[in-house]
Amino acid sequence: MNNKYNSLNFVQKNTGKIVRRTLFTKFWGIRSGRAGLILALFLLTVVSIGPVFVEDDPNAINLENKLARPSTNHWFGTDNFGRDQLARVLVGGRTSLGAALIVMGCILIISLTVGIAAGMAGGIIDMLLMRFVDVLLALPSLIVALAIVGVLGVGLHNMMMAIIISSWAYYARLTRSYVINARQRQDIIADRLAGISWPRIVTGHILPGVFSQVIIILTLHLGGIIIDIAGLSFLGLGIQPPMAEWGAMLSGSRLYFARMPWLLIIPGTAIFLSVATANLIGNALRSASSTEG
Amino acid sequence: MGLADCHFNILKSLGLRIFQAVLTVLGASVLIWSLLPLTPGDPALRLLEAQGIVAPLPQEIEAVRHDWGMDRPLPVQYFQWLKRILHGDFSTSFQSGKPVLNELGKRLPCTLMLAGIALAIALFISISAALIAASYEEQWPDHLIRALTQISATVPSFLMGLLILYLVVLKFNRGQIISGGQFRHVWLPALCLGIGRSASWTQLLRANLLEMLSKRYTLVAKGRGATRLRVLLKYALPNAAIPFLTAVGVGIGTLLGGAPIIEVIFSWPGTGNFVVESIAARDMPVIQGFVMISTIIYIVMSFLVDTLSELMDSRIRIKGGV
Repeated sequence: MNNKYNSLNFVQKNTGKIVRRTLFTKFWGIRSGRAGLILALFLLTVVSIGPVFVEDDPNAINLENKLARPSTNHWFGTDNFGRDQLARVLVGGRTSLGAALIVMGCILIISLTVGIAAGMAGGIIDMLLMRFVDVLLALPSLIVALAIVGVLGVGLHNMMMAIIISSWAYYARLTRSYVINARQRQDIIADRLAGISWPRIVTGHILPGVFSQVIIILTLHLGGIIIDIAGLSFLGLGIQPPMAEWGAMLSGSRLYFARMPWLLIIPGTAIFLSVATANLIGNALRSASSTEG
Repeated sequence: MGLADCHFNILKSLGLRIFQAVLTVLGASVLIWSLLPLTPGDPALRLLEAQGIVAPLPQEIEAVRHDWGMDRPLPVQYFQWLKRILHGDFSTSFQSGKPVLNELGKRLPCTLMLAGIALAIALFISISAALIAASYEEQWPDHLIRALTQISATVPSFLMGLLILYLVVLKFNRGQIISGGQFRHVWLPALCLGIGRSASWTQLLRANLLEMLSKRYTLVAKGRGATRLRVLLKYALPNAAIPFLTAVGVGIGTLLGGAPIIEVIFSWPGTGNFVVESIAARDMPVIQGFVMISTIIYIVMSFLVDTLSELMDSRIRIKGGV
């Protein structure tokens, strides 16, 4: 017991004060976690309130001023339709990052629902659900996403749905295994003996732990989701012109990179920074949770 | 455990794996077949539209529906579809009217060439980088290689492709943007795919090598006077290679499925490029055929990898009987 106490809290060396170590304080104690969180706040702030300060319309075509170099009027220059790159990269960021977070949330909800249902129900429901998950896991995910966009047609929402359908299965299986482990825990058995109903045990005692475990693994995958969204948009399967999105911006202006490398560098850096941020946070969360208690 | 038992276990788990793989292919075929009836709108109407007939007469739609068997119950349609697939008939493309298998087969050599060269590049980079990093653990070559793998794991493949395209083709006038699928144009897209794959493979092999180097049997080898190089290559590498080969096998499965994004960037005339065109045109038979074939390749590769690693690793073999 003493050991457990020490791993959860640690006595600060100089002051002798007892500091409770939560997941967050550990996460904050990791350098990459701090960097990731600050970068994430920066990126989200810039894309959410940034467009307010840019007067140019991101979709306004001005052929007289196309492929302009960065200047005081257009900080990031203009593209082949004379559209302001700064406005487009900011508005595009709302699409790219917003879509990635929504996809992540949907995967979380679906996989938690299916995984908990399979893990708690057991028997035939568990078997059927898991066979279905096995088949989905045996398919290459990019191919599945392409097939689904092929069925539903191109567009941002269809593409997001395709990414969700092609990647939820793994997390559902993960959730199920956590739930099955949790069911054998002593505190859950004690709950059962105390006569607490299963729905209350699931929501109050199983879900919180499972939720944090799944969200940590899912955060490690967030960079991959951002790449998938940008990649499918690059192929023209996501948001349709003239709307801005980082991947779509790259594909729209790729014939003009020779004259205007800015058109490559700016959306490219935006994608790189977002993926790096997601990876930093994911890795730090994983290390923080693996050293927990 | 006797030798005969061991052989029996291998055969038993092999049989089980084949059975599982066939079941998975069948399950996948149901999902892939259901793409057609699940597609919003009337498939007969879309087929006619894809052929350029804008406002078809009701009789024409009826005729198409009858010809393609779309008027029968769904389970019957599935089994007819499966029967045709098993005979190698993936039906005809809505767009060109030619058999899907021919259309895909025409572009397959390009995809195979790209996948092969990319694989060779990725294997070369990852094996040599992992060996260097492991033998200079926590010294500057290791730090450099780890930083590089971190960066290339963060750069998406299409960004890498565009960067290579920009630097090599546009700045130094080497290579070509528009390629006809000739061998001399394969290097840039292959390099791109290869670098993308090698990042995670390097990390994996490096970690496994270091784990093996910390084991007692390598210490014994060192103690008996084996050189560092010999310990690394002869003792650590074979055991470290097993999980690495598993990852490579799965990677081959995905590579053979075509790399749509890289193929589009370098206008490489492979299957991936073709399927992106087909998605834009909503040419369902082509999409179905492509997905079905890629899935079979992927499942067969996973099966081969599992079987191979079982044969190579006695630890999995003994447990694998169950």
